[in-house]
Amino acid sequence: MHLFKSRWKRWLARRIPAAANVRLNQRRIFIIPSRVGAVFILALLLMLLAAINYQNSLAYGLTFLLASVFVVAILHTYRNLAGLMLKAGSAPAVFVGEQAGFRVRLESSQRPHQAVSLGWPPAELQTQDVPAQGISECQLNLPALRRGWLQPSRLRVESRFPLGILVAWSWVDLDQRVLVYPRPLPGDLPLSTGASEDQDEEGSRPSGQGVDDYQGLKSYQPGDSKRRLHWKAYSRGHGLLVKDFASLTGRDVQLDFEALAGDVETRLSLLCHWTLQLSERHQPFALSLPGQLLPADSGELHRDACLRALALFGRAP
Amino acid sequence: MSRMTSIPRVSLTWLLVAQVLVIIPHLTHLPLWIIGLWLGSAAWRIQIFRMRARYPNAWAKGALMLAAAVGVFLSRGSLIGLDAGVVLLISAFVLKLLEMRTRRDALVLIFLGFFVVVTAYLFDDSMLMAFYSLLPVTALLAALIGLQQSSLAAQPWPTARLAGGLLLQALPVMVLLFVFFPRLGPLWSLPVPNDKATTGLSDSMAPADIAELSRSAALAFRASFNGTTPPRSELYWRALTLDRFDGRRWSQSDYAEFAPDAQWQKQGEALSYSIVMQPSAQRWLFALDVAQTNLAQTRQMSDFRLQRRQPVDRSLIYQVSSWPQALRELQPAQQTLRRALQLPAQGEPRSRAWAEQLKRDYPQPEQLVQALLNHFNREPYAYTLRPPTLGENNIDDFLFETRSGFCAHYAGAMTFVLRAAGIPARVVAGYQGGEFNPAGNYVQVRQFDAHAWVEYWQAEQGWVSVDPTFQVAPERIDMGLEEALAGEQSFLEDSPFSPLRYRNLSWLNELRMAWDNINYGWQRWVLGYQSEQQLEFLKRWLGRVDAQSLVLGLVGGGGLLLGLLALWLFKPWQRERDVQQRLFRRFEGLLARHGVVRQPGEGPRDYAARASQQLPAQAHAIADFAAAFEAQRYAGQVLSTGQLHQRLKALRRALPWRFTRAQP
Repeated sequence: MHLFKSRWKRWLARRIPAAANVRLNQRRIFIIPSRVGAVFILALLLMLLAAINYQNSLAYGLTFLLASVFVVAILHTYRNLAGLMLKAGSAPAVFVGEQAGFRVRLESSQRPHQAVSLGWPPAELQTQDVPAQGISECQLNLPALRRGWLQPSRLRVESRFPLGILVAWSWVDLDQRVLVYPRPLPGDLPLSTGASEDQDEEGSRPSGQGVDDYQGLKSYQPGDSKRRLHWKAYSRGHGLLVKDFASLTGRDVQLDFEALAGDVETRLSLLCHWTLQLSERHQPFALSLPGQLLPADSGELHRDACLRALALFGRAP
Repeated sequence: MSRMTSIPRVSLTWLLVAQVLVIIPHLTHLPLWIIGLWLGSAAWRIQIFRMRARYPNAWAKGALMLAAAVGVFLSRGSLIGLDAGVVLLISAFVLKLLEMRTRRDALVLIFLGFFVVVTAYLFDDSMLMAFYSLLPVTALLAALIGLQQSSLAAQPWPTARLAGGLLLQALPVMVLLFVFFPRLGPLWSLPVPNDKATTGLSDSMAPADIAELSRSAALAFRASFNGTTPPRSELYWRALTLDRFDGRRWSQSDYAEFAPDAQWQKQGEALSYSIVMQPSAQRWLFALDVAQTNLAQTRQMSDFRLQRRQPVDRSLIYQVSSWPQALRELQPAQQTLRRALQLPAQGEPRSRAWAEQLKRDYPQPEQLVQALLNHFNREPYAYTLRPPTLGENNIDDFLFETRSGFCAHYAGAMTFVLRAAGIPARVVAGYQGGEFNPAGNYVQVRQFDAHAWVEYWQAEQGWVSVDPTFQVAPERIDMGLEEALAGEQSFLEDSPFSPLRYRNLSWLNELRMAWDNINYGWQRWVLGYQSEQQLEFLKRWLGRVDAQSLVLGLVGGGGLLLGLLALWLFKPWQRERDVQQRLFRRFEGLLARHGVVRQPGEGPRDYAARASQQLPAQAHAIADFAAAFEAQRYAGQVLSTGQLHQRLKALRRALPWRFTRAQP
């Protein structure tokens, strides 16, 4: 069975090579009767039996008419997919635990294409129409379970239009992949011990004591993150205060993998959390991973580079 | 209910429409309560769809089903047999509507619908029915399409149009299958509808008890002669012989069933013809004397009638050759002659005395028969369909008192007298004449053409047929029943709207003949296209018929038809790229007529540049087209080909008109 599957995959890869744009044609479309079609054929056989036993020409006629409809429906079902162009759309990165969204554009060069379903079985397929010489877009979701590149298996494109008695389908590889970042995990700020040469600044000694040591507190303003609310102070009756990182401004922060304890994934999750936090605050920071150092910087590009490094840590790029 | 499994509105609409259309042809033989059941179920289902009612629960469903079964039993007297089966099927078809929740239920309903259409064919297989049934089939297909999740399937009319289109495209392949698919004999015997077969002819007659003979215009059979059709006075279609008389009733003895085959000698010219017979539910067939047919399971009985093993429940086509001048049974068995002389022990004293008298006067049987016929001709006998009823001695009453009656009276009385005079004789029942249809060159014989005549036996000559009715009302034989009854107004009294009554309106009559001709063709070529007809047809067209040629015809023809259909559906010549290419070729041709011929290997741009130099006045239009062409073909710029088309048109307008290619 396994052997058969791998052979099938190789055969498919030869027949329908991966590409960002795939036009469905007779090499790429398969067609067989659906389950409803099997029942339809069974019903036709019963009708034929009635025709034979009653020697009734009209019963023969209706049986043959419906059989011919079946044959003609093969052409129609095939035609409904043939010529359809599938184009890979953007696929933004997501965090582990989220749904990765793959955008797929369906383009019709001529005919309308009715009720085209896309998806990865066994999940339910999404169905939409493509107008004549028009475009229809859809987003297919896949749960992101592991960090790194998420490369979906071949996408099933199928249609049962018009009668539902036949199913025409194809397995296309749009060469799409989504980068999955580690799941952000709130926790201590993992500052590097060796990165800061300046020993005078006692206040910046992190030693794993956590964020509280570095905080200033300011009163809560609407719009401040609720995550940074200082609940202890609130319980003591000091009113709503927000932990402020103002104390860190003006200093290069370095997030260090080595400075953290725990397994690799937990450490990456923590780093991911802080990458997001610091980026949100436009705080320049550096990221140090074993064998990789991203120098201090801020901005979206820097953030994405850091997240990418975290996502692909220990994985093939 | 998820979106996947609920039934869309369009599908439900078409299902309801299909149900009405499917049930309509059954109305003639369905009990009325089915209609009530349907209306109730449909109203309930619509209310469910509008969320104003709920689905019936299991108890209600069970009760409804039980009620339907009881209803079928009460109105049909049983739950088995075809009639009851069809009513049950239709009740299920109607009730299924109520428990139709999911797409799967809708599919069950649609497939049931196809079956109900098939059962309708068993009751009525006319051409009108065949064309009508395309309506419910289209509606059922539309319901099937409506189950798809597509914007098209959410609109009722495009759905129906697509369904109709599919049917139309399927027609050629269907015809092919119809012609080539080998017909098998029935695999097992099935009950047939019992209200279908009728006949105007019964296997016994008691003219004395009939005060008024009602006759129907229903068709009995049609006959096509190879060569010229004989005059109607020669068309005596034998069905059966009545040789037993119990004093009032003439009936058929069982003797012919067991007697050895008929003996006869062919003589004279043969007539060959084919007969398409309506179902009669009887085993006898119709033919002119003396007939021979190659129909399977059919035997010529000792009284020269043709009889099948099975009753004729479906219309039947058979080929017959007849020798009208054949000599029949020169040496009959003693048994046969004895039966042809049988008379009741008592009664009819005057007739018997008269027979004795005749026998004394005319010792030769031939003379005696002639004298009898002359008697009928000379004496004031009358032909009527409303004879007075006759008393105890009915032959006496008829011959000497009332002297009016129809063919059965004359045939019965004459046979009686012949037997009383010692001449073996019997009554032959069948049809006489028929209406010639010039549109199709065939004879149509109706139930009112039923007739009875006499045959008597004579040494050296065998059986000889005579018709006493001809002596009384020759116009009945020469012209038909209508003429014979001209003074009586009793012709087709029961059916005032029958088009037959209006035969004197010539245009109506022509219309009627043409319509009958179409129906005849339908019956011969469509309904009768069973094993023998198919073999004959295929032999004529293919030369030989075997498995190989059938498969070849089916596969080859099917491939050809589907190929043509695929061409028409896909229109490969209309592909975007090809449109561009085609327009460029036209551009090339246009310029070539003006002396600029594209060199082999010259690209569109170079070619356009060269053309602009040679035709400076049109340089602008040429450059326009070339730019648009390049943009579409190579830069992938999405422009409609219409624009390209317009630029080509502009160029053509800019160029002076020239038909032939200029010499470069």
